Amino acid sequence: MTVTHLTINGETISQDINPRESLADFLRERRNLTGTHLGCEHGACGACTVSLDGMVVRSCVVLAVMCEGRKIETIEGTRKSEPMDVIRRHFHEKHALQCGFCTPGMLMMARDIIARYPEPSDSVIRSQLSGQICRCTGYAGIIAAIESAAREIRDAVE
Amino acid sequence: MNSHDGPGRWIGASLLRKEDRRHLLGASTFVADVRIPGMQDIAFARSQLAHARVVSIEKPQGFENKVYTLADLGEIRCLDAGPELATFRTVPYPPLAGDRVRFVGQTVAACIAPTRAEAEDIAQEVLLTGENLPVVIDAVEAIKPGGATLFDGWQDNAFIHATIADGDIASVANAPIQMRRQFKMNRQATAPLETRGVVAYWDERLDELVVYSSTQGPHLMRFGIAQTLGLPEHKVRVIAPDVGGGFGGKNRLMPEEIAVAAIAMKCGHPVRWIEDRREHLIASVHARDHYYDFTLYAENTGRVLGLKGELFVDAGAYSLWPSGPYMESSMAARNLPGPYRIEHLHVETHTVATNKTPLGPYRGVARPGACFAIERAMDELAHELGMDPVELRRINLVRATDMPYHTIGGLILDTGDYPGALEAVVDMVDLPAIRARQKQGESDGRRIGVGFAVYTEQSGHGTIEWTKRKSRVVPGYESATVRMLPDGTVHIMVGILNHGQGLETSLAQVAAHELGIDPSQISIRHGDTNATPFGFGTFASRSIVFSGGAVARASSILADKLRKIGAHLLQSPVESVTLRDGAVHAGAASIPISEIARAGNIRPEMLPTDVAPGLEITATYEPPDSGGVFSYGVHAAVVAADPDTGVVEILQYAVAEDCGTMINPMIVDGQIIGGIAQGIGTALYEESPYDPSGEPLATTFGDYMMPCAPEIPRIDIRHFVSPAHNTLHGVKGMGEGGAIAPPATIANALSDAFRDIGAKFAETPMTPRRVSEAVARARGDAV
Amino acid sequence: MKSAAFQYSRPETVAEAVALLTAAEGSAMPISGGQSLLILMALRMTMIDRLVDISRLPELRELRDDRSDVFIGASTTHAMIEDGKIPDPSTGLMSRVASRIAYRAIRNLGTIGGSMALADPSADWPACLIALDAEVSIAGPDGQRWEKAEDFVSGAYETILLPGEIVLGFRIARRQSMRWGTAKVSRKSGAFADSMAVFVEAAGDGLPRAALTGTTSHARILPRVGKYAQNRSILDPGDLRAAILDDLAEIVPDADAYQLRCHVATVSRAITDARAS
Repeated sequence: MTVTHLTINGETISQDINPRESLADFLRERRNLTGTHLGCEHGACGACTVSLDGMVVRSCVVLAVMCEGRKIETIEGTRKSEPMDVIRRHFHEKHALQCGFCTPGMLMMARDIIARYPEPSDSVIRSQLSGQICRCTGYAGIIAAIESAAREIRDAVE
Repeated sequence: MNSHDGPGRWIGASLLRKEDRRHLLGASTFVADVRIPGMQDIAFARSQLAHARVVSIEKPQGFENKVYTLADLGEIRCLDAGPELATFRTVPYPPLAGDRVRFVGQTVAACIAPTRAEAEDIAQEVLLTGENLPVVIDAVEAIKPGGATLFDGWQDNAFIHATIADGDIASVANAPIQMRRQFKMNRQATAPLETRGVVAYWDERLDELVVYSSTQGPHLMRFGIAQTLGLPEHKVRVIAPDVGGGFGGKNRLMPEEIAVAAIAMKCGHPVRWIEDRREHLIASVHARDHYYDFTLYAENTGRVLGLKGELFVDAGAYSLWPSGPYMESSMAARNLPGPYRIEHLHVETHTVATNKTPLGPYRGVARPGACFAIERAMDELAHELGMDPVELRRINLVRATDMPYHTIGGLILDTGDYPGALEAVVDMVDLPAIRARQKQGESDGRRIGVGFAVYTEQSGHGTIEWTKRKSRVVPGYESATVRMLPDGTVHIMVGILNHGQGLETSLAQVAAHELGIDPSQISIRHGDTNATPFGFGTFASRSIVFSGGAVARASSILADKLRKIGAHLLQSPVESVTLRDGAVHAGAASIPISEIARAGNIRPEMLPTDVAPGLEITATYEPPDSGGVFSYGVHAAVVAADPDTGVVEILQYAVAEDCGTMINPMIVDGQIIGGIAQGIGTALYEESPYDPSGEPLATTFGDYMMPCAPEIPRIDIRHFVSPAHNTLHGVKGMGEGGAIAPPATIANALSDAFRDIGAKFAETPMTPRRVSEAVARARGDAV
Repeated sequence: MKSAAFQYSRPETVAEAVALLTAAEGSAMPISGGQSLLILMALRMTMIDRLVDISRLPELRELRDDRSDVFIGASTTHAMIEDGKIPDPSTGLMSRVASRIAYRAIRNLGTIGGSMALADPSADWPACLIALDAEVSIAGPDGQRWEKAEDFVSGAYETILLPGEIVLGFRIARRQSMRWGTAKVSRKSGAFADSMAVFVEAAGDGLPRAALTGTTSHARILPRVGKYAQNRSILDPGDLRAAILDDLAEIVPDADAYQLRCHVATVSRAITDARAS
């Protein structure tokens, strides 16, 4: 076990962590942050996407012990925050979710795309979403939601 | 019985979904999110042998009481699965291996530990010693005489041989055109993003076994688990919490559900098993795996007369409860004539056991294979005759004036305009423009092709159809309980399950229409056998027809009661009142529903003497003719294919479809697009192959290709609306249709792209390798 | 799908890391981004007794621009390269290659050094760095050494790294009037390459270099293709194809007809891509 200090959704904690525990399992099983979902556990589906020091990462292929001193944000940490509330609303309005299992990871990725591409084209959104699997929607609603959320966020800045 | 005095603004409204909020906040509860104090994890030791007699199963030292084998589970009564036909060979599928293992991935032992990682440590040390038996891997070879068999006493490996025939195929033996073709739709996974999972414990207070399971049908699973474990059903509660997609793959009683439930009653603490993706890909329900070999008989004009041939369905090692694998074969055979006026059919089906993962339903069930076979064959026939494939379809399609049309496969196509839908997609893709572009050629050396495919989707089928299938369970109805609370808000309990279909919204719309209130005043409850009336679950595109009907009927009965009470309180005759906008109206006077609800629930003295107190109604529903209603559609795809590398890009995808009355068009479009994305997966990417020794080759998403956003094009949809005569509001189910036609559509587009050299596209998925090899073969190059 | 148990250490210096790797009982492995290694461990395809976390070692994070060449530390992530956050000796090639590796969330942690050290036969960096004729800086118990990238990868998942050695980074020369092209065939977006070629040429600077990956073995240079393309502005498709096939016969003798078609396509297109720029 390795004592690890990290910040999760703004709260700094220090906890003994088994080295083999993935960040996803740590969040879900030790911190009860179950909004981060596991769809494949080998970095290929994107359901477990969280933010690590402001970057999107797959929490199933991150060791929790390697997060010493780092800042983690999960979907739970984005409640009542801009711009995620805007993105959430567009996901709702564009029917960007069906079963909802991919949704938290999709939202984390969507926010990252909009941050890096304030005016994302259809093809940019598609290629940036590669590796985020949604089995239900066929992606149409997700792409439309990211496009329109980006526009609203852009307009608010201007 | 429809309440037409309501405002009518909810049927057909693209209401935003009520169920979105919890998912968007990351606050939903899937089975892996369920937390029961004291819960420990289970990992399964699985067979690495494809076919072997079990000699011994050794538990690791020091962990003997943490490892359960079949003998440790107590008495297990494996249920007979498959149709009630004397010709169908039933075999037990034990929750953990008995004397034989029959596929790589079969459950051998269950190992318990405080964490999943530690449980896997134990599972890794469980040693299965087996005496290897010959591996059966090819369904066609497997029924030849003299070969090895999976089950002792079987003459060959067929679960069943059955002939589906009607008309007189001999009468077309001299038809001028006779074209024989073979088609293969390969095996795949169902791959919902949430894998399966089970949490089980004994609830001492209620004195019952509680099983949380990621399932599409909790009531049926309760029945199955109780029967298997020999428990009375009132001691079993099954809860399907949020379910992250099912698509058919979560609609069978699986060995892990039984094993985990059995262990929960023995080990003294709650247990949990969450399927990992590798387990899912090798041991959850597999799908499709059809091989067709048939001859089309036709006139020189292109008029198709008959179809004769064979169908092999590779069913894997066991038959899954309740329906078993013959449903796949019989449905595929009956759908093989497609939406065409073909008058003679003779298909010999072989449903074959092999040393692979058991086969089960997946969105579209059987029909994607049948559609692939017939629609590919229609294009091939057009090529043989030098006709345009669209023209050939015009000649053969069932016409609007033919409705209702009895197909030679025994299906009754009820309403619709199939040729009209065909013309619509031809228009949507601008066929002349594509032909002009093809003449010009592409600067990057790719080939452009356009393909079409037509499908029908049987839905809302009940007692008649399931009885015809000799089903062990006849999902002939659904039930709903509508309960108006004292403030006028409403709980509706249903026996189906919502796992992405938007039913928490569309069922609320159906009820709102009857009750004259806003859907926001209505909550739909589902998934808990202790809280909902009996139902069969969500599958076979049945929920809007059956559960929608049950909700409408119960709501309508309640609405009558509200009118009666309202009339009494308004001192008006009941014939003179209407129910709308949250109130009962009599002329200018009105009384809000909240007042009526108060009277009905907690002020019985205000009720008329002939009205019993209480505002709770339970009703069941089945359409009057339960043979089913048929949605249909025509898909068109324009593709660009690289002749060397075989990489395919979909440039355009268009759909004209008709599912009768739409309750929520936004949700309908979502289902169509999502279904097409899965169909594109079947067409181009997804495959679960085995090597000759029975080793599964796609065990992670690194090998099993799931389509992502770059792989799925924009999809244009045009709706036709031909309401069913036979269902409430004229609805038809439509959850599966999108997945049926893409393999055929895309294969036809590829075939069109290489029509000049005659490249053959007869097998899915059309991976870059298969496409490149098809082109090389046609060119006479090395393959 | 959980990894077996292992020990974990996070050394402060390269020397300490090398000492930990050398001294470990059983198997020891350095970890940086972990985007391939942790997957292999979760699948229990790789069992490791000790992971040595080198992701924070300052030496491996170094980026130096010495005008004539550039040093890129091994812990540099694909995303940093994709986003142009490194001095770029390749006039955009490395950014292009990085942008097509797996998915963004993987690229945020996956490193160029890890990719080279793991030497997956389908990985992108070996082909790119070989084409750029990069040199690899290696630290180990016996000190530091330099090796050519071309010699560094020696087979599928095989490198010349000795026990206890780690990759510090890569030195890549700047070239004048450099032209490059790349092409990739994979089963879907983000999937490992079934064939990927990189072509690099520069003014008066020896042979053009065509590198190929996605074979069953490791990334390799196609020498005959380089020779054929040298000083030839218009390439005859038949002759080019013959040169490619000659090289393939030598470096991937077991390739089947489909693989050959893919390799011919990616190599040809990488050259076309370079010449079109």
